[in-house]
Amino acid sequence: MITIKNLHASVDGKEILRGINLEVKAGEIHAIMGPNGSGKSTLSNVLAGKQDYEVTEGEVTFNGKNLLDMEPDVRAKEGLFLAFQYPVEIPGVSNINFLKTALNEKRTYEGKSSMEAKDFLALVKEKQKLVELDGKLANRSVNEGFSGGEKKRNEIFQMAMLDPKLCILDETDSGLDIDALRVVANGVNTLKTKDKAYIVITHYQRLLDHIVPDFVHILYNGRIVKSGTKELALELEAKGYDEIKKEFENTPV
Amino acid sequence: MGNEILEQHIQSDYKWGFITDIDTETFAPGLNENVIHALSKKKNEPEWMLEYRLKAYKAWLTMKEPDHWAHVHYPKIDFNNISYYSAPKKKTELASLDEVDPELLKTFEKLGISLEEQKRLTGVSSNIAVDAVFDSVSVKTTFRETLLEKGVIFCSFSEAVQEHPELIKKYMGMVVPPTDNYYAALNAAVFSDGSFCYIPKGVRCPMELSTYFRINASGTGQFERTLIVADEGSYVSYLEGCTAPQRDENQLHAAVVEIIAHKDAEVKYSTVQNWYPGDKDGKGGIYNFVTKRGICSGDNSKISWTQVETGSAITWKYPSVILKGNNSIGEFYSVAVTNNKQEADTGTKMIHIGKNTRSTIISKGISAGFSNNSYRGLVQIRKGATNARNFSQCDSLLMGDKCGAHTFPYIEIKDKTAIVEHEATTSKIGEDQLFYCKQRGLDTEKAVGLIVNGYCKEVLNKLPMEFAVEAQKLLAVSLEGSVG
Amino acid sequence: MIAEKTNTAQQIIDAVSASAGKVNFINDAALSDAMLFLENKGIPTNKHEDYKYCNVDAILKKEFKNLSQNFKEVTSIKEFKLENAVTIVVVNGNYSETLSDKIILKGLHINSFNNLDDNGKSILTSQADVNKDAFIALNTAFSGLGFHLKVENNTQLQIPIHIIYISSSNDQAITNPRNIIEIGNNSEATIIEHQITVQGKVFTNFLSEKLIKENAKLTSYTIQDQGENGFSVNTNQVKLSRAASYENTTIMLSGQLIRNNHNVVISGENAEAHLNGLFVIGNTQLVDNHTLMDHQVPNCQSNELYKGIINDKSIGVFNGKIFVRKDAQKTNAYQSSKNILLSDDATINTKPELEIYANDVKCSHGTSTGKIDESAMFYLNARGISNENAKIMLLNAFAEEVIDKITNEELKELIQKKLGFN
Repeated sequence: MITIKNLHASVDGKEILRGINLEVKAGEIHAIMGPNGSGKSTLSNVLAGKQDYEVTEGEVTFNGKNLLDMEPDVRAKEGLFLAFQYPVEIPGVSNINFLKTALNEKRTYEGKSSMEAKDFLALVKEKQKLVELDGKLANRSVNEGFSGGEKKRNEIFQMAMLDPKLCILDETDSGLDIDALRVVANGVNTLKTKDKAYIVITHYQRLLDHIVPDFVHILYNGRIVKSGTKELALELEAKGYDEIKKEFENTPV
Repeated sequence: MGNEILEQHIQSDYKWGFITDIDTETFAPGLNENVIHALSKKKNEPEWMLEYRLKAYKAWLTMKEPDHWAHVHYPKIDFNNISYYSAPKKKTELASLDEVDPELLKTFEKLGISLEEQKRLTGVSSNIAVDAVFDSVSVKTTFRETLLEKGVIFCSFSEAVQEHPELIKKYMGMVVPPTDNYYAALNAAVFSDGSFCYIPKGVRCPMELSTYFRINASGTGQFERTLIVADEGSYVSYLEGCTAPQRDENQLHAAVVEIIAHKDAEVKYSTVQNWYPGDKDGKGGIYNFVTKRGICSGDNSKISWTQVETGSAITWKYPSVILKGNNSIGEFYSVAVTNNKQEADTGTKMIHIGKNTRSTIISKGISAGFSNNSYRGLVQIRKGATNARNFSQCDSLLMGDKCGAHTFPYIEIKDKTAIVEHEATTSKIGEDQLFYCKQRGLDTEKAVGLIVNGYCKEVLNKLPMEFAVEAQKLLAVSLEGSVG
Repeated sequence: MIAEKTNTAQQIIDAVSASAGKVNFINDAALSDAMLFLENKGIPTNKHEDYKYCNVDAILKKEFKNLSQNFKEVTSIKEFKLENAVTIVVVNGNYSETLSDKIILKGLHINSFNNLDDNGKSILTSQADVNKDAFIALNTAFSGLGFHLKVENNTQLQIPIHIIYISSSNDQAITNPRNIIEIGNNSEATIIEHQITVQGKVFTNFLSEKLIKENAKLTSYTIQDQGENGFSVNTNQVKLSRAASYENTTIMLSGQLIRNNHNVVISGENAEAHLNGLFVIGNTQLVDNHTLMDHQVPNCQSNELYKGIINDKSIGVFNGKIFVRKDAQKTNAYQSSKNILLSDDATINTKPELEIYANDVKCSHGTSTGKIDESAMFYLNARGISNENAKIMLLNAFAEEVIDKITNEELKELIQKKLGFN
């Protein structure tokens, strides 16, 4: 589904990603773990197309197309979804209006007609249940005044509504209590199909107890230094990141 | 306005810029007493009206054009280079719509204004009565008979002078005296037409009333007057819309709007101002120098101004409320958008005189391109206005680094029981918000439109339904291409 | 700006010219520009937008009909001295070497305008543009013998400098005190400027040009206590270089007319400016605070906090302007003005302005006016506190936010005592 080859990216002239290689196939769940500052969030932002990040080398193919050539909104319409680590507040724009606009933009892009209001509301009801999101939140402004947990659940709710192909969860577990974590994970697991792929970015292993990955990659200093299966996450949890740092800090770039 | 028409608006810069080819009778440019005599005669006015005009004209001659305080810049206006009367030629009095020039009907149809009473606006459940003003004259006022059944008078100003002279004499100039300011004096001298509306005691006006102003002729100015009188315990919601052809010349629009709200009466006045703003280099466009003021003359009365300003090359406009009655309420909700080389200096005045009076000011300014957008407002609490309250919130949004956003509030308080709060902020559209929207599949224009509409929501919510839809689309169109 | 010119300026010029000689330390160009400005524009009336709520022309006309310039010498300033400070004294607008302390602090220099070095000469009139304002012009044309206070580079002054401007006159007089304050690169100083009138009716037209160089810090206090016969217009023209920091707290204790023009030009990146003000006024006092934060460069911040308690028939004014120029991106500017009206005849006029030409900025202002919080009063009453005491407590709490900005303990105690809240 997505193939990342030798991806280098920098922010303000400082290189953060130094040659990422990764292939994710439909139906797979990949976890990317790493210490703070290893480049995890940069990777998700680069894939989503955030302006401040400059790709200096490498290529990314998404469903056979050159992802890096696309505007952020085109990437979204092509089926790439980023669940933000810090979802932004948009005052005055109701959640429901926002989602309706986004969904219809995508449908237009796919050559489909806009969704009928009735069907849309039914879909909203159905998907809200999935993440146990209070119906009232739909009428509030996007993320405004939401608690940390509500914001994260709202991200998964949007994901459910927009039905993307590739979902990138950027530290979705940060700031979540154990119940919220279960709800979010439950949502993700329910939405999982053989056509969809997930990249789960996290600092801790605990999310991976709920969303079980097929592959685990360790990101350090802007590169994937180690890959394995879910056992690698457990190993990492036991040893801590210091072990990794020691092992790889002197590896030449 | 109908949705289909609005959809078309999205496609281009200024969709209302067409010119209607119609036979007109137009005065030669120039302003002197003879012109005023001729104008008054043309309208077959009674002697008192002519005297009113001449007095105003004499006062105007002694006044100075305001040139120093507003944050706008434009060349001096040559008042002798303007024609003060232009009207479509008509043969006889109109008995029915069939006799209105089909070109005119087409023009208003094209603008989304139906002058046929059986036609309802798309998606709107209630009817709207429309007074359509084309250049210097009112072309047609719809639903007059329906309204009259309730005792509501809604007609052109010219007709009101003929048919309701006692009301005009009593109320005209009560809130905006002919000597109020330079442009109000000019208007009092040369006003050509406008709308008059009277809601009798205890009547809730059964439909929205609306005036649609269209400037068509070249080289003319438009000087209309609107007078709204809401008698005790009555209610009316009034809408105003306006457009003009796309021309290279600047045209002057100097209107006066007066509102009188008696005891327990409420008037809601909404404007979507969409005069031609000039091209992207600042060529052409309307100079919109307007005096709008209402008085809450009776206890428990309420006047509410809501405006969405996207048009005009220069805007100079401060819809105000004099809160004379005890417990009266004044409100001002405004969205002003400037793009390209537009300049707007707009705001409000809330004059608290009665006890327990309350006012609210919500102003949202959005500047883009090379434009300058200023909020200028006065909150005055006079001595004896016990327990007066005011809350003001003025926010500015800057798009691009070539524009300016300014806030000039004046707050004058002479009563110790007053509570007045004013807040203002200036910021730009968040990059994070834009990226978030884009990540959900919205392109830049859509994202900007959505965020700006959200930013203005408090104001847009105050507009009647059908106007709100138009305003939202208009905001998106006005800001097209303003974020790179 | 349209200002109707009156003959007040000419009367002042005549009176002052008769009693004073030529001001020989100001360059001729500035002198002639200043005279020209006064002759053409005069003293501003309330028709002038900047003096809309403060008709200085009318006040001068009414209060200073007989400007005699008959000053009285001041021989002792003992009672005004602070224990722990270096004292500099200006009597009737002129720097008094005899009353001032001998300077022994390393890195601190004081030169009277008669002994200015080239650097001092180049600064004098460089910040205060005579063509901008009538009172700058008036001061320039008739400047008293001022001084240039200079803190050398890399100097941390441990002791505050206390400048006492003291006036005394046998009847009606006008003084034009003036100074230059220059804080060198990487230096730090605390300066207290204290205005007092001991006798007679005096109009003080004060002007200070302050330069705060790179990475320097000036903590400044202005104490205005000129009594019921004191009238003043005070212009502070401050310029901040890169990473400079300026904090001024102005406490307006007494004075029939106090007009403050505090203009801060932020011309170096990463600089910050803070202006605080407190006025507690009554009778027929008029206090008008005008501030300008002129953000000329990116990445700077400014903060303003002005509070007023207005009683009797007095009038308070706050007019603050945040001006962000085109290139001053990432500016962070905040302004707050809060006022309490205590009497039926008191007036407050506020005009907080934003004029902004850069888009990536955060600027805001807030102003509020109200009465003493009745529920708080009731709460205190319910705890057995009398109305009078409860009122004092609440006003004290209101003023405290500004007083707390005073970090010099000796000064803070003095102010608290003067305000009588404690």
